[in-house]
Amino acid sequence: MNSIEICYFSVGQLGRLIRRKKLSPVEVVEAHLQRIESLEPTLNSFLTLLSDEAMRAARKAEREIRAGQYRGPLHGIPFALKDLYYVKGIRNTSGTKIFDTFVPSYDSTVAARFKQAGAILLGKLNMHPLAYGPTGENMDYGPMHNPWNPELITGGSSGGSGSAVAAGQCPLAMGSDTGGSIRIPGALCGIVGFKPTYGRLSRYGVVPLAWSQDHAGPMARTVEDCALTMNALAGYDPKDATSLNVSLPNFVSGLNRGVEGLRIGVIKEFFDGPIDPEVKEVVTTAIGRLRKLGARVSEISWPMVRYAMAIASTIQMVEATACHNQLIRVHGHELDSVVRLRLESGFFIPATDYVQSQRARTVFYNQSLEVFKKVDLLAGPTLPVTAFKIGTTEKRVDNQVMNVIPLLTQYTRPFNLNGFPAITVPCGFSGEGLPVGLQLAGRPFDETSVLRAAHAYEQATEWHRKQPPL
Amino acid sequence: MDVKSGLSREVFLNRAGAAGLNTDDPHMEALYAHLQRVLPSLQAIWELDVTDAEPVTPLISGKEGAR
Repeated sequence: MNSIEICYFSVGQLGRLIRRKKLSPVEVVEAHLQRIESLEPTLNSFLTLLSDEAMRAARKAEREIRAGQYRGPLHGIPFALKDLYYVKGIRNTSGTKIFDTFVPSYDSTVAARFKQAGAILLGKLNMHPLAYGPTGENMDYGPMHNPWNPELITGGSSGGSGSAVAAGQCPLAMGSDTGGSIRIPGALCGIVGFKPTYGRLSRYGVVPLAWSQDHAGPMARTVEDCALTMNALAGYDPKDATSLNVSLPNFVSGLNRGVEGLRIGVIKEFFDGPIDPEVKEVVTTAIGRLRKLGARVSEISWPMVRYAMAIASTIQMVEATACHNQLIRVHGHELDSVVRLRLESGFFIPATDYVQSQRARTVFYNQSLEVFKKVDLLAGPTLPVTAFKIGTTEKRVDNQVMNVIPLLTQYTRPFNLNGFPAITVPCGFSGEGLPVGLQLAGRPFDETSVLRAAHAYEQATEWHRKQPPL
Repeated sequence: MDVKSGLSREVFLNRAGAAGLNTDDPHMEALYAHLQRVLPSLQAIWELDVTDAEPVTPLISGKEGAR
């Protein structure tokens, strides 16, 4: 097998080959480092590359596996982290030159659990500065470029994670998601992005943006790979105050149960607003496929979802400003201009608005649970558009001009507000060859149903096998 | 007074100063314009009936979600 083939194996495939000693972690890491080197001038996915460290870790993994000390499905698997997950001794920029030389003195829980699983860190990934933006643009380190067309955005804020996974620079990356930052680049780059339930994955050692809406989650090319990652990372963490001590399923074992009998509600409101007709058609066809696979699909109305943007944005603005309060005052002039404006805006939200939003969030959460009494999953487009040119600030969709921030986050934010699990899975392409994402969401802590339906769809289609024309 | 946002320039500058921002910075114009665009869109929160709803976090620690 050649190195490009290795780079397009899934985590599951790589793990099985490594376990059977048909492939060595050294070969796998070498192939990915070559791929990174050849594509970085085009994509700019990485901020810190750890070639020597990765090769050392690969040789160690090889020795352990040969000695019969196989740790599990992530042993010897290369991965990369968005540059806001602390790794002891490795610089952590959070996507801004303000932190260009900052080196954390401890591991995030996610990084520690990857180490425990024997996975191999290739490097830290480019991101929208401070994770505060959905496009994947970065004036300090340069924008991330979409592998399907490098003139276009990757989406953000986990843009480097999206481009690196889609381009075969790594089979697995971690993103973070406060308003859609895993699912947006997942959809625009044509990969799977999974945001588990709030509280399921530890955020200890992850640079916060808005505490009550921040989620950690995996990005990969298959649903199985996200499930394997969840098995390695999930579990109560006393170091994270929001980590929940709840029962832990095996995220992989139910994947092949299919969708027969699952009740899937198609969110009416997501198709009412401005949406690219091509995206609408592709997503409608994908939902039709789920029906053919045995799901009981029906349209469902979720009236309050129209208010999710205002509620979530108010909370996010205040929390982000509180979180970066000192940074804004001291380093505001060094920040990306749009990020700076968004951060400063939080100073002008009255406390009464913040509390009203928290009360509205309670109502929204309760209504979300009511919706899920009628269905097992919700389905709709992840985004109303496909990737567009880097530098775009407004976009016309359905004869309506919209700012790109609300445009990109309108369907993802509701699941940050209620904290329910949600996934994007590739479901087709536009006429210009750009990926479209199908979003599926489930009840809190019912990640297994979300993953199961996404896996069933993925396995019935070929979209996840498409490779960008690099 | 700006009709849309309800934030007059005077109040804006007062709050900016209280927040520790440099009100002499030319950037303040961009911030004021940005707020005029953004703040009105958030006022939708006041259209909602939140009677009896308390401001709590979305999940109760240690408990499974409803099934």
